Amino acid sequence: MIQRRPFFLIFLAPAVVTAVILAAALFEVLQYSVREFVPGSLNVGGFTLENFTRINRPIYWWVLLDTFYISLLTAVFSLLLSYPVAFALVRARRDWVRSLLVSLSITPLFTGEIVRTFSWMLMLGSDGFINSLLRKLSLIEMPLQIMYTRLGVVVALVQFSMPVMIILLATAISHVDRDCEKAAANLGASPGAVFWRITLPLTLPGILSGIVVVFAWTMSAFSTPQLIGGGKVLMISNLVYLQGFSVLNLPFAATLSLIALIAALGSLVLMKSLTGRLEKRLAVR
Amino acid sequence: MTATSQAPAAVELVRVRKEFGSAVGVADVSLKIGQGEFLTLLGPSGCGKSTLLGMIAGFLTPTAGKIVVDGVDITEVEPYRRDIGMVFQSYALFPHMNVFDNIAFGLRMRKLPKAEIAAEVRRVIEMMKLDGFAERRVSQLSGGQQQRVALARAIVIRPKVLLLDEPLSALDKNLRAQMQVELSELHRKTGLTTIFVTHDQGEALSLSDRIVVMNRGEVQQVARPIELYRTPANGFVASFIGEINALPVARYERDGREAALVLPGVGRLAAPARDDGLIHGSAVRAFLRPEHVRPALPDEAGPNIVSGVVAAHIYQGSHTITRVEVDGLGLIETRVTGADIVGAHPVGAPIALMLDLGEAVLLATP
Repeated sequence: MIQRRPFFLIFLAPAVVTAVILAAALFEVLQYSVREFVPGSLNVGGFTLENFTRINRPIYWWVLLDTFYISLLTAVFSLLLSYPVAFALVRARRDWVRSLLVSLSITPLFTGEIVRTFSWMLMLGSDGFINSLLRKLSLIEMPLQIMYTRLGVVVALVQFSMPVMIILLATAISHVDRDCEKAAANLGASPGAVFWRITLPLTLPGILSGIVVVFAWTMSAFSTPQLIGGGKVLMISNLVYLQGFSVLNLPFAATLSLIALIAALGSLVLMKSLTGRLEKRLAVR
Repeated sequence: MTATSQAPAAVELVRVRKEFGSAVGVADVSLKIGQGEFLTLLGPSGCGKSTLLGMIAGFLTPTAGKIVVDGVDITEVEPYRRDIGMVFQSYALFPHMNVFDNIAFGLRMRKLPKAEIAAEVRRVIEMMKLDGFAERRVSQLSGGQQQRVALARAIVIRPKVLLLDEPLSALDKNLRAQMQVELSELHRKTGLTTIFVTHDQGEALSLSDRIVVMNRGEVQQVARPIELYRTPANGFVASFIGEINALPVARYERDGREAALVLPGVGRLAAPARDDGLIHGSAVRAFLRPEHVRPALPDEAGPNIVSGVVAAHIYQGSHTITRVEVDGLGLIETRVTGADIVGAHPVGAPIALMLDLGEAVLLATP
């Protein structure tokens, strides 16, 4: 194989270098996680398993659980909001509607996470757009507390993840054979029945991969919960940041990172097997 | 015209028209389809036959005109309330359902009791020779089996009309021949009024009670297969159905029982003096099938013997098609049994042809 493709090794080199560096970094994290914390110093002490016993406290479990919860909530709401957009994007009859929807849904990808999060802070704050509007309309007297709540964090994360969800769903929807929908209508299915029995099941692979991707992506969210949660909503990345850069307890931060990594991988494997079984049962593809 | 068209119409199209922007897809088609008739819409791609079918199924709304099924105007009725079965060119089987669920779909939409659905599905599964496939996924089926599932799914709802949109075009040649026979049997067994769309004249000739030839959105001729082949209404139909030699424009001369075609550079050819409304001195074109042209016998003489040079032989096993370049007439095809002609008249050799103009179709040219 190498003889037939002389550039094979050269082309492979960048991947190998990246993989080696990544492995080394992961090994460092692993190594730090079993080191002793020396207060007041960035240098670490001897080997210990104390960091792992320390994990076993309710506060850390809650953060981990909260991270799962927020990620799942984000994935589900992202799906519910993105599906109609993706559907319209693929099925709109007029070209300009499609172009408009494409640019509207893709543009957020090109603004940084900080910019987007900051915009949401302006929207959600006590004197922000939403509260001002509601007060002007006399719908509320006191400002609603959205900033520094889980709701605020989820709202921002959903908007953050929608472009990716829309792209995945639009791909799936565009692959649905329109003749199948026509055939269903021909056999007596009303437009609603066509959607529930044909279109939706046929886009299931896209729905499942969208959920998995957004879930995994949100698991590692940092700046959104950091800025909008303001320390009151902690996700695992924020906890790592707190331990590593405020308390300067690098060994414990490393342990938390490791736990986060394992949790993310574990949930991905779990989801994959669940979705795999679901797809098989529905026999899509 | 025929026995079937005198029966009460199952489907009636009244000046049905479909425009796409400024383009006319179907131009004012009026048609009556008899109860239990097998009618074929035949024409080249883009002739409007699929558009017409789409309007009958309800996927397209006519720009003008109306569609009546069993005496009820369904022009504005949604496709899912039409009770019209359809088999798609791509079959459009539901990939996420097995064979049973595919076939049962229409019955479930009609909210029939479970036991009845099971019995009906079993009935058509047996009828379509799909026994043992009920639990299979559609992706595990061969092309012919998928075709049968598509048919089963369409007929199980006992539709008022069955629409077939080029259902055989995705099959290979042998399977297509077999499915033609099965379609014919199915039609006989179910007695369903069937509208079949195809661009394959062979399929149309062998399956249909009547054929509607379409071109550029317009109906060219509606006739039984034999009439269509023998007496095409115009040049398009003549050249679209089967092979035919179109002779150059000639002057038609008629004198009592004798008629002749006068062709510049060829002379006079004796023509049939039928009562076909052709006017003495008018311009006509003669269309002559290859089977009505044969090599002249050695000592044969007569007005309709022309000479030319063999341009090519196309050996087809049971017969040979020979192309002859005839002075003044251009390329003329002859079709003779066997392969003797290949040895007797090699390519490049002169040959005399006997044109049996008694069998020709004469059409006035505009």
